[in-house]
Amino acid sequence: MSDRATPSRPGSLLGPGAAWIRAHTLEVALAAPLVGYLLLLTAAPIVETVRLSLSAPLDGGFPSLGRYRALLASDLFRAALRNTVIVALLSLVLEIGLGLLVALTLHRRFPLRGLVRTLVLMPLGVPTVVSAAVMLLVFSRAGYLNGLLLAAADGLALIGVHWRFEPVGWTVAGGWRTLFTVAVADTWKVLPVVSLILLAGLQAIPEEVEEAAKVDGATGWGRARHVVLPLLAPYLTVAVILRAIDAFRIFEVALVLAGRVEPVLGTYIWGRYAPPTSDPYTAAAGAVVLFLLILGFVSLYLRLVVGRGEAVA
Amino acid sequence: MTVRARSDGPGAIRRVLFGAWVTACVAAALFPIFVLVMVSVAPGAALFGERPALIVTAPTFRFWRAVVEGGDLWAPLVKSLTVAVLTTIGALAVAAPGAYAIAKLPVAARRGVVVSLLVTRMFPELTIGVSVATRFAQLGLTDTYWGLALAHVTGVLPFIAWILVGAFEAIPSDVEAAASIDGASRLATLRRVVLPMTAPALAVAALFAWLYSWNEFLYARLLTTSQNTLPLQVFQAIDRGTRQQMAAVAVALVIPILGIVAVLQRHLRPGALAGAIRG
Repeated sequence: MSDRATPSRPGSLLGPGAAWIRAHTLEVALAAPLVGYLLLLTAAPIVETVRLSLSAPLDGGFPSLGRYRALLASDLFRAALRNTVIVALLSLVLEIGLGLLVALTLHRRFPLRGLVRTLVLMPLGVPTVVSAAVMLLVFSRAGYLNGLLLAAADGLALIGVHWRFEPVGWTVAGGWRTLFTVAVADTWKVLPVVSLILLAGLQAIPEEVEEAAKVDGATGWGRARHVVLPLLAPYLTVAVILRAIDAFRIFEVALVLAGRVEPVLGTYIWGRYAPPTSDPYTAAAGAVVLFLLILGFVSLYLRLVVGRGEAVA
Repeated sequence: MTVRARSDGPGAIRRVLFGAWVTACVAAALFPIFVLVMVSVAPGAALFGERPALIVTAPTFRFWRAVVEGGDLWAPLVKSLTVAVLTTIGALAVAAPGAYAIAKLPVAARRGVVVSLLVTRMFPELTIGVSVATRFAQLGLTDTYWGLALAHVTGVLPFIAWILVGAFEAIPSDVEAAASIDGASRLATLRRVVLPMTAPALAVAALFAWLYSWNEFLYARLLTTSQNTLPLQVFQAIDRGTRQQMAAVAVALVIPILGIVAVLQRHLRPGALAGAIRG
């Protein structure tokens, strides 16, 4: 059937490959749509972006690092970079910390656990834009958080502690308040996913292991540190990596909540594309920087925390 | 950090504390949704003043009526639903066979593929989106259901391919070998043996694809000039509408999904994600 039933002469290099393909026709056919799709609609746009970032006419065309130099010189970009790092790290700490607590809670047996699990996982389906819209209501000047804090101030006054609380619009205040709002909105929405991943990890720990630790006299804290945590590590790594990727790329939430007050890289790039600026070259360079930032963080995490040779992905 | 509740010792205080903590968790998870519902029926005056009322005493459906009658709900709902279904089907049709093939690769190659899938996810979706949108505009795919679904498939492919590679890997090769000794063709083996064994992971992948499309904002924004999806409608309401209109559209977007999550999460056993982790 094939024109190369026996390994062909020039084929010491090509031959085995061709033979492999012939032996795996089904697999190749099955993989073709996925590979084609990714090449056409993911790889090509990425290559295109990198090329654009290096070829602004302003800088004299390809290849030129002009856009990157312009970025580093821009105050707005530096603010966006700093804010992105702050928001991403804050979100990660909140999400992994709270996610672990929620997972440990759901792993215990208690009455109504099924119901509690369903309710706690509810935000899983909430669209990102909606989580931003909600936080707009919670964190605005006449919002629920300020209401709560005012009530707390009243409560403190009753017991003789005087704390004057000036309501502020958290989203428009700028600085840490606005960044905190963004991190909280992100945390609320993704906590269920993080909890689910970590819960999977807890459930994968054989009960005998813990029983054995208990018999050996390990205390609750000791078991958590020396038994549960090491066995949970791969799941923690997956959660951290998946979340880090999305936390650094944060966009809709920041657009809605921090909009004009505090830029992050996502909204900065968006702003370069948008009509008043309409500068795809700078936008592309910003995107490449964001990509490198994420790649750098993930590599650093894998090296420092996971150690070599233990990569999970 | 005990993993199972203990009934011995000074348990009563602990149990009360634990109960309080669980209640706090549930409240924190649900409070924002509660806020949305309340605000969507709040009369204008309730939103002014320093402290928002926790419970709206005189609910009005004025804003719901305005949103529904203004056509701000039905058309976007239909578009969002259609695109989400197309995306789910398309993503599974492309990712499942591909993941099966990847799972058959030697370990090193497989790991390489999975890592590169993850790395493509690190690239900002924004620029990928702009590039895809430009191409789609040339192909006349802007503002079509198909165009948006194709874009959404792009967005979910890496992640669900990743989940599915893990699931297919977990099938012992003996199982397939046994089926072929029994005379089943490879395609029949796939259909009758492999697919049923990976059904839970396929379900998780389908759920993720559906959720992704239903929530997606960026591609929708870039590929839409006339008919909004629901997330775009929420964004527009944030931009221009009243707080109540924004809340009403948001509730419309959230309600169906809460139903779906409530039903499906029973089947969303964390174990189904485990495949991705061992991957």
